[in-house]
Amino acid sequence: MTDTLLRFEDVSKAFFGVTVLKGVSLEVERGTVLGLVGENGAGKSTLMNILGGVVRLDSGQLLLDGNPYDPAAPSDADRAGIAFIHQELNLFTNMSIAENLFISDFPKRRGLPLVDRGRMRERARECLAMVDLDVSPEVLVERLTPGERQLVEVAKALSVDARILIFDEPTTSLTARETERLFEIIGRLKESGKTILYISHILRDIMQLADAIAVLRDGALVAHGPKASYTVSSMIAAMVGRDLKQLYPDRTSSPGTEVALEVRQLSKAGIAERIDLALHKGEVLGVFGLMGSGRSELARIIFGLDEFDEGEVRIDGQPVKKLSPTRNIRNGMAFVTENRREEGLLMEATVADNLSLAALPAFSSRLARAIRSKSLATAVSGSVEALSIKVNDAFHDEAKGLSGGNQQKVVLGKWLMTKPSILIIDEPTRGVDVGAKFEIYEIIDGIAAKGTAVLFISSEIEELVGMCDRIVVMGTGETLATFDRAQFDREALLRSAFREHVA
Amino acid sequence: MTALAQEPTPAIRLRALGRRLLMSEYLILYLCIALFGLLFLIEPKTASPYNIKNLLSNIWPLLVVAIGQTFVLIIAGIDLSQGSVISVTSVLGAAFIAQSANPIIFSKSPLWGSLLSEGGGVLNGSPLGIPVALAVMLVVGLAIGAFNGIAVAFWRIPAFMVTLVTSMFFGAFAILLAKSENIIDLPDSFSAIGDSFGINGALQFLSIAMFIALGLAVIAHFILRRTVFGRWLYGIGTNGRAAVVSGVPVRKVIVLTYMFSGFCAALASIIYTSRVQQGRPTLGEPFLLDIIAAVVIGGTSLAGGRGKILWTIFGVIFLTLLSNALSLLNVAYFYVAIVKGSVILFAALIDVARRRIALQAV
Amino acid sequence: MSRQRLTLTILRNMPAILFVLVFILFSVLDPRFATVTNFSNIVSTSAFVGLAAVGMTFVLLTGGIDLSVGAAMYITGAVIGMLLQQGAPMLLAITAGIVAGTLLGCVNAVLVARVGLAPFIATLVTLTAGRGVGLLLTESRQFILPQEMRYAASSVLGIPLPVLVFGVVVVVAVAFLRYSATGRQIYALGNDAEAARKAGLNTRRLTASVYIISGFCASLAGVILVSQQGSISAGLGQGVEFKAIAAAVLGGTSLFGGVGKVFPGTVIGVLLVQMISTGLVYLQVDLYLQEMVAASVIFFAVVIDAQRTRILGKLERRNIRVEKGLGREAAALPASP
Repeated sequence: MTDTLLRFEDVSKAFFGVTVLKGVSLEVERGTVLGLVGENGAGKSTLMNILGGVVRLDSGQLLLDGNPYDPAAPSDADRAGIAFIHQELNLFTNMSIAENLFISDFPKRRGLPLVDRGRMRERARECLAMVDLDVSPEVLVERLTPGERQLVEVAKALSVDARILIFDEPTTSLTARETERLFEIIGRLKESGKTILYISHILRDIMQLADAIAVLRDGALVAHGPKASYTVSSMIAAMVGRDLKQLYPDRTSSPGTEVALEVRQLSKAGIAERIDLALHKGEVLGVFGLMGSGRSELARIIFGLDEFDEGEVRIDGQPVKKLSPTRNIRNGMAFVTENRREEGLLMEATVADNLSLAALPAFSSRLARAIRSKSLATAVSGSVEALSIKVNDAFHDEAKGLSGGNQQKVVLGKWLMTKPSILIIDEPTRGVDVGAKFEIYEIIDGIAAKGTAVLFISSEIEELVGMCDRIVVMGTGETLATFDRAQFDREALLRSAFREHVA
Repeated sequence: MTALAQEPTPAIRLRALGRRLLMSEYLILYLCIALFGLLFLIEPKTASPYNIKNLLSNIWPLLVVAIGQTFVLIIAGIDLSQGSVISVTSVLGAAFIAQSANPIIFSKSPLWGSLLSEGGGVLNGSPLGIPVALAVMLVVGLAIGAFNGIAVAFWRIPAFMVTLVTSMFFGAFAILLAKSENIIDLPDSFSAIGDSFGINGALQFLSIAMFIALGLAVIAHFILRRTVFGRWLYGIGTNGRAAVVSGVPVRKVIVLTYMFSGFCAALASIIYTSRVQQGRPTLGEPFLLDIIAAVVIGGTSLAGGRGKILWTIFGVIFLTLLSNALSLLNVAYFYVAIVKGSVILFAALIDVARRRIALQAV
Repeated sequence: MSRQRLTLTILRNMPAILFVLVFILFSVLDPRFATVTNFSNIVSTSAFVGLAAVGMTFVLLTGGIDLSVGAAMYITGAVIGMLLQQGAPMLLAITAGIVAGTLLGCVNAVLVARVGLAPFIATLVTLTAGRGVGLLLTESRQFILPQEMRYAASSVLGIPLPVLVFGVVVVVAVAFLRYSATGRQIYALGNDAEAARKAGLNTRRLTASVYIISGFCASLAGVILVSQQGSISAGLGQGVEFKAIAAAVLGGTSLFGGVGKVFPGTVIGVLLVQMISTGLVYLQVDLYLQEMVAASVIFFAVVIDAQRTRILGKLERRNIRVEKGLGREAAALPASP
């Protein structure tokens, strides 16, 4: 007997013209755990955001207990008994745990508009007990570790007696013990009749927790069934869904012997632990790891956006004392960050302005830094053509009007105009459609063929296997393993990435 | 959503026209023309050569200082200290070249004995006098601007707070230096900067101030449109984080921008001081609001990333016309304050509306 | 404790430290400073600044600013003066004045919460236009108030009335911020506006309420000042906003929102600011030099605030490597603010 609590019917959603969800239809049974998996950009978070009232769907509908459910805001979702525990925690660090739990719904003294602190403390203690968090409810959240804060979020969900709990990558900042504790709690919640939607990249966890599994790929639901019908490999297969050979361009480049970038024993408290890395000219070196493994942080340190405590970074054999973006760019380094909206693009600026931003000094006269607009315009047009950026008028259209794939190409184009000798790219195909992905892979291969050293950070194994000469696996700020091309094996890569969590 | 087959009703057409007008660059220019026309109808004296000269002589220095503010607004900052820079540089500049100074008034001033004495300023009579005085004024403007910029870029203090404090500090400093008095008796050659050349006919409107203002406008326009620095300004104002990642030396640019703003204020002070022929410690006081109103109503956004010298020119003309109208119509001081406040409000509202429309247009 | 936490502790206790230091400094420079009469004088002249500072604290807690406090005070005074001139009963005049001042706060609330203007621009506008409106009402005349209005000189149980009013307002403010839901939500909004929105808090209502509260406190300050001075002139209340900001920030309230206490924080800040003003008067420092010192003091307070916020931000950074047994000082910690 199926007891459907939640049903998604033909749900679709697009952002800025890019389709993110395509007619997803899904049923979730009461009192079960649904594991939601898929690559980056497959649409998992968007689907949950719709459920949680953070964004509104474009078409389709949601049914809760058979009734239409259309939240206009997170508060509607709260009222319907749906609690969303986001990846980015929404706690107020300047207030106590108890206050955070009841921030929108304080228990009040009889008649008076005053907070009943005693009762609040009591109820907070009960909630904390439900998640096994042995901390006084009066403690300020800013004193808690990320793991403890995660549990406070769970406690918050329980305090509003939610019947559906959504977890979005909850274990990224948790220790092994905290993760175990979380799983115990989830188990107990399930037994008490709560329904759980669990998004995670950690397929092993999904296999442990879930009753049913749903696989999303490019915005569509490609597989859905009881856990028993899946294995980690079959999940991966469903997520990828096509023959590996066809997706990636033939590699025309091969790594040289000169070392372009070297990292020696790089350490930073809480972020990186004695990292060693050597990147050769013409090489595409992949960096794989699960969410929160420290890859982007490492890239930011190398590029000079963040500081480090110990160790050394060498460019072309010369150690660099003070790393800074301006100096690194002058030395031929380029960095495509993982968040093009926040750090990659000027959304309200034209495509041309975006493309030229990093290379401006090269196109200006010595005196007065006047821009040689003709040569710049030629270079910009050349870039648009070379990268097949689909835009009507690069000199007047704003970047925000482009699709995700084209936006990413603009970011790449910006850096390529600086003619870099070292290119660091972080999740270059996130939120990019299939066609553009292939074009981006071709571009990367082309760059490497010309002798540029490429550091390719990604959470997609297939992508790295298809594009790289070597792959380094990272976890919790350390390098765990290195694989040469001959040793590439999806399962082996994944296994070594999981090693931290198995311990 | 919308049934595209529908014939646009007059209401929709009007709204579309309204929207186009709002987003148009020349909105303020149209308003200027409309305002001028309206004023002419109410008070024909508006178009007299005397009044036009008066208008122009107010436009030039305001334009100079507004250009500096434009740069600061483009990087999403604000400079509330320009008025005080005008005041303090006026006093300092005058102190160098005053031809005489009354000991009864000035003996208690910190400047007495060093810069100022009974015979006037320390460089009184010297051919270096005026050039040095001008140089000192500009350097002080640059220095105050540098301080503002460093506080904003390196110590991460909100721009409005830094420049508010600087404004207080140097405003009081100016009055302290001049003992709340005006430093009078400045050499004629200095006062000539603000005057017209005395040519009759069509060229009677020319003056040194005009060349300074227009020259600065051309240079500023060039910087914004044709140099790397200009692109960096727009980049920082649009998305500071992306600018950092793209290698823009953000902190240096911020300091330079505030220095430029201080420089412009000092330059404007030269014009104002020569016009009133005094070193006045309260010279800049009435201008703070005018400067911001002029730049914002011209179309430069308070949120950064948008701004053009042309827009500022329109805004300055508009504001000067407005002030001119208010004084011609003998409007009381308090109404003026209300009107000016409303102008900024109006401009800020247009800015908010424009951004909202721009967001929808994707 | 790590060096960062040590610096943070010092920065957090800055109000008390400064208070003691300044007191000692001025007492050394002029022994007349350290007398009881002087101190009670300071306290009683602090009242109107204190009231404005309490209102300012509310606004600062949400990460905003209210530059129009002086104009609200003037409008209040103007309305009182005008009504008393027409022969209206004192209580009516005072009530009308308070309503008028609070109305300016409402205008701010609309501009910031509804229209979405940046607080400094919105309150800069109301500062100018507001004073203009006030001058319009009084036609720039000066009023001398009838004797009955000067009751502020009187004391209840030995405590000057202004101090009493200030004390009551402080108690109410503290209770509001500590014990009411709205009060706690104001802190949340200042800490993380996005999270507040996601948590379902009515951020618009919260933002609007702090500006109305500030307008109300400013109008109270206007009443007190007017009755202490006995007259209303065009410059009434000019510059009070800076003293109020200095007092609040020196007292530990952050410009960036989410941090700050009315008691002891802002109260100490107010006493500190008044001490400095009074001390400078004792030392017969030039009026404008005083203003320069005031500006420097505000700047100093703001620099400390920026540093404290920066260090806090660094400590908040998400760590990837969660070492076993690292830093949970949570177990035996004091209660929340």
